[in-house]
Amino acid sequence: MYPRWLWPAFALPGVVWLIILFLLPFYAVVGVAFGGIDPILQTPIPAWNPLQWNIGWVSDTLSNLAPGGNYWVVVVRTLEYVVISCAGCILIGYPVAYYIARHASRTKNMLLILLILPFWISYLMRMLAWVNLLAPDGFVNRFLMWAHVIQTPYGFLDGQSSTVMFALVYGYIPYFILPLYASLDRIDRSYLEAARDLGASPSRAFWHVTLPLSKTGLLGGLVLIALPMFGEYYTPNMVSSAPTTSMFGNQIDLYFHGGPQPTIGAALTIILSAFLVVLMGYYMLSIHRASKELAQ
Amino acid sequence: MARHPKERPPGWGAWSRREFLCRSGGAALGLSSASAILAACSNSTNAAGGSSGAGSEPVGPGGLPLARPDRRVKLPIYADNKPIESGLQPETGGTFNVFNYPDYIYGSLLKEFGKKYNVNVQVTPFDDISSGIARLASGAVTPDVTEMTPDNLDKVVAGKLIQPLNLDYIPNLQKNVWPELVSPFYDVGSQYGVPYTVYKTGLAWRTDQVKEDIPSMPQPFDIFWESQAYAGKVALLSEVRETIAMALLRKGHLDVNTEDPKLVNAAVADLKQLYSICNIKVGDVQYQTIPEDKAWLNQAWSGDMLSATFYYLPNKATGKLLRFWSPPKGKGPIQNDMWSVCKGTKKPVLAHLFLNFMLDNGHAYSNFINFNGYQPPLNEISPTELVSKGLIPETLTNCVMTADELGPTSLQEMTLTIQGDQLWQNGYSDFLAG
Repeated sequence: MYPRWLWPAFALPGVVWLIILFLLPFYAVVGVAFGGIDPILQTPIPAWNPLQWNIGWVSDTLSNLAPGGNYWVVVVRTLEYVVISCAGCILIGYPVAYYIARHASRTKNMLLILLILPFWISYLMRMLAWVNLLAPDGFVNRFLMWAHVIQTPYGFLDGQSSTVMFALVYGYIPYFILPLYASLDRIDRSYLEAARDLGASPSRAFWHVTLPLSKTGLLGGLVLIALPMFGEYYTPNMVSSAPTTSMFGNQIDLYFHGGPQPTIGAALTIILSAFLVVLMGYYMLSIHRASKELAQ
Repeated sequence: MARHPKERPPGWGAWSRREFLCRSGGAALGLSSASAILAACSNSTNAAGGSSGAGSEPVGPGGLPLARPDRRVKLPIYADNKPIESGLQPETGGTFNVFNYPDYIYGSLLKEFGKKYNVNVQVTPFDDISSGIARLASGAVTPDVTEMTPDNLDKVVAGKLIQPLNLDYIPNLQKNVWPELVSPFYDVGSQYGVPYTVYKTGLAWRTDQVKEDIPSMPQPFDIFWESQAYAGKVALLSEVRETIAMALLRKGHLDVNTEDPKLVNAAVADLKQLYSICNIKVGDVQYQTIPEDKAWLNQAWSGDMLSATFYYLPNKATGKLLRFWSPPKGKGPIQNDMWSVCKGTKKPVLAHLFLNFMLDNGHAYSNFINFNGYQPPLNEISPTELVSKGLIPETLTNCVMTADELGPTSLQEMTLTIQGDQLWQNGYSDFLAG
């Protein structure tokens, strides 16, 4: 027999990794949010002891997030961009994942390789490529003019919300498809055959069998893309740089990047994290319910 | 960071019973509490870095008086941070570390310096001066010399991050530099730094796209508010101070260091009008986007159009299309960057010699023309000479500054009190939120 501690010990490297690279840095952000500012250098003085926390920055920031507050517009815009971009990912990604899982037989491996191909190139490079493609003299405009869709170059990069959302969909969709594919691939085909044998049309079988059974993968993919999208600042900077398309992450970037109030940047970060924990909570609850249903 | 007891902010150390209850209560309530409850025991302006001194004069971080072009300030020399002695030999061997913006110094010059003094010169870049100072303060980097800006000088002096200079090692300062910057208003006697580059803030545009005669307009900054035809191709600098200052100047408010909330908020409200007028953008890459025809009208620094001419022209003809305008003396901001010697350097003599090296006529000129594009404040450089050498087109002569643009009546964005700094940053945040 193996000693009792052996199998839990396998989790140790991961736990240490999480503590060093996630929990400690996150607690540092919390310490900054509830800390003070060096009176000379205006650098943050983290408050490590919760008993010494100064809650002023966080409460001020919270009140500015309410309707009419300084950040309200950017909060609403960020929600709008993330919701629409996630919807775009579902519309494009679900059929792709479904096709690969259910209908691609010989081409399956090739398609999976194509799916992970974008990961070979850094996000920055892929966005830069789009900046060139969407430029007034870029391929997209030249093609549209050649096809007589437009007469003069369209200003894709002139501060358009649609361009930012397109870039978000483009940047994150591989992260959505892969977990969804894994979930769809695991669905036992006999359930579908049973549905069809009982008289369900293909569409009814999809709505009543495939979709519910792929819910965990769908939610997993959405969580995977929505969480980083909420903190985005780089993509809007790259493809727009207009204040009218700035996102919540741009505000965090502004306050962290310099100036006398890094504490506000930290406060915004932990408020965003708290909001994302709620989303994660819903995801965890859904997973829990789904596994219970499966067990029954 | 070590702090002198006198520099501790109020409330540092012992707590009152009320403070204890507030803080521990807040900790227990955590994030789930309503902001209104939290606000009852909050303190979000606890950065007590000084807003007014013993008298009524406002002071900046560290309690040092706020320097202005018409208010000269001699910075203190602290007993535990004195200049090095004269007549020492330069250190050799090892690595000499230069802390600077990325791509802001000519690599060949660094090699030449390294070869001359037998050191390996390495550049450690920072994104912006604030994060650079934060890294210096944390000890995350230990450079020998650092790029500095006058509006941050009092912070790093009071924080003892840089050391006072012994000018015996830097004869080129007296010999080559504009008299106004040999002993600048923000550091009388050049005790803590020497100038590196000078530039002014104005507008840059392309004449093939922007048809208005901008310099002839009664208020050229109005062009931003009349730029409907150029929507999507108009941008402001992504800089808290520069952006709001431009809106202040447009309305005739010449105090670019004002801390009057009414003025700053009105300027921000004016800037927000630009969303609907031209879907204004923000960014600092106008030296590239204007010559590439991706932007047509931009708030810009004078060095940008010089850099554009030196390095970013897609073809020679584009150079003739570029224009720059800046307000006359006393009506628009001018700035300069500096070099300082870090307090923790192990090569203080060599660090002084580096400053002297960068103020050598030949080296400074080479850095300007061959790489940087930002002008050093040297007596030797004149706009007409650059034009006659064919380095810049005559139409960009006004990008080159002259010594008489400095002086007590000039405008320079300088250190604010912490409350003032917060006011400006929050205003910019409001603008950036769209």
